[in-house]
Amino acid sequence: MIEPFTVPFMARALAEIALLAVICGPVSVFVFARRLAFVSDALTHTVFPGVVIGFVAAGLEGVFAGALVAGLLTAVVLTVLTRGAKVSDDAATAVVLTAMFSIGVVLVSRRSSYTSDLTSFLFGRLLTVTGRQLAETAVLALVILVGLLVGARALIFRTFDPVGASAAGFRVGWIDLWLNVILALVVVAAVRAVGTILVVALLIVPAAAARMVTGRLAVMAVLGAGLVLAAGYTGLLVSWIASVDHQVSLPSASAVVLALVLFYLLLLPVRLWRDRRGATVPIPAQRRSPHELVR
Amino acid sequence: MTSAALRYTGVSVGYQGTPVLTGVDLELQAGQRLALVGPNGAGKSTLIKSVLGMSQVLSGSANVLGRSPAAARGLAGYVPQTDTLDADFPVSVRQVVMMGRYRQLGWWRPTRPADRRAVADGLEQVGLADRARHRFGTLSGGQRQRVLLARAIVAEPRLLLLDEPFNGVDAVSQEAIVRVLRELSAAGTALILSTHDLAVARDLADLVCLINGRQWAVGAPGETLTATALRQTYAHAAVDLADGRMVLVEP
Repeated sequence: MIEPFTVPFMARALAEIALLAVICGPVSVFVFARRLAFVSDALTHTVFPGVVIGFVAAGLEGVFAGALVAGLLTAVVLTVLTRGAKVSDDAATAVVLTAMFSIGVVLVSRRSSYTSDLTSFLFGRLLTVTGRQLAETAVLALVILVGLLVGARALIFRTFDPVGASAAGFRVGWIDLWLNVILALVVVAAVRAVGTILVVALLIVPAAAARMVTGRLAVMAVLGAGLVLAAGYTGLLVSWIASVDHQVSLPSASAVVLALVLFYLLLLPVRLWRDRRGATVPIPAQRRSPHELVR
Repeated sequence: MTSAALRYTGVSVGYQGTPVLTGVDLELQAGQRLALVGPNGAGKSTLIKSVLGMSQVLSGSANVLGRSPAAARGLAGYVPQTDTLDADFPVSVRQVVMMGRYRQLGWWRPTRPADRRAVADGLEQVGLADRARHRFGTLSGGQRQRVLLARAIVAEPRLLLLDEPFNGVDAVSQEAIVRVLRELSAAGTALILSTHDLAVARDLADLVCLINGRQWAVGAPGETLTATALRQTYAHAAVDLADGRMVLVEP
């Protein structure tokens, strides 16, 4: 069971997933609690044109810088657009998402190796992760973890009670930008290995799955990270066995995501069982009396 | 001379330049309890948010704890309605109450023993010390409201605003909340609470402010909670019965 991972490229792939697991566990907790699944989806799509521009300008080495610039830009634009709820979160996000994704497709279609480039940007190249890429992911992971640690208190307060946080003097706009930038950095860290489409699974599924077994934020974060690591191991192993032993080509990044989704499905019954035990008390119908007798 | 906790003179409040409530003249001293009474959509929440610096003061002079509302941001305590919060959010009762200390602690300063003591005392005061480790969402509506009150207490505000604190609250919790509010005002905290419950307003408040788009009356409960003033404020929502009694009908 560990033998495939003695092959260097498999070991590097697993190490990359392990680094991503450490950041995706805790970050996904906020994506889940803030219901930012759609925003994460948008970020993964808007990073796409950055990836393409970086690649066209400087080859594979440019992908990282391109993704970084596009990600940070999107984080700022999304924060500003959704500020004050002048535009609904969903509408603003959808506009940015589709526009940026289309730009990416137009750019990549100019190239002769259109199909293979597109495939690798969308679905990643987990098995060709290099040592340098690992180092870059590690640095980003460190930055993200520090960012989360510094912002955790404000992020939790704002997520639970935005009006209360604002009344206590916290600047909700800055907190939102903080989280959006962290999300963008996660996407940048993960995009080369798992692609712009599949990275969204790493941002949403870990916490959603962990929430089924626990009601504590810290436990959710750790469990989510554990699930990503386990899915990485399972997915890589299955795709290795499929292609080496059975000559069936199974893309490794997709196998990892499928394993993650499988864990989610396996944990579903636990949630249903917990719900039946009444883990959350629904708020009773308001007692606000519609008829008030004066005298 | 200490400044009033709140002084509004000829104030209009609203959002994006559009007034929701006009003609507000209020003065609240330390330790006074003010009830905002009016039908749904009267502007109670907008008025409360204006004190917090979260809705606009469009005209008149507004002074909160001796400063402009924007400059006083973070100084006044706020208790939201329980049902505006996500009951599914994975956070413990103790964590929620600790949020009351976040204004002092900022983004990252670690909690001190004094903070943990304040949280324990706050929970003790609202009678929920034994629930500290429970998840917030597993509590009843009334208990959640008490937790939010404890959160406000540990911030030690000189002015505390409560948005419909008795909505969806059982009798035991209501009694506990009323008791704590009396203790707070006795200790010098000025209180502003919006309510639909005229009995609570009469019983608890030193001052009642009747509003519905504009301020209709302000004064002691005995002067303001009269049939005439309520009929004026509630307009069509006030229905006279044949026996001389009146019913306020919420849309």
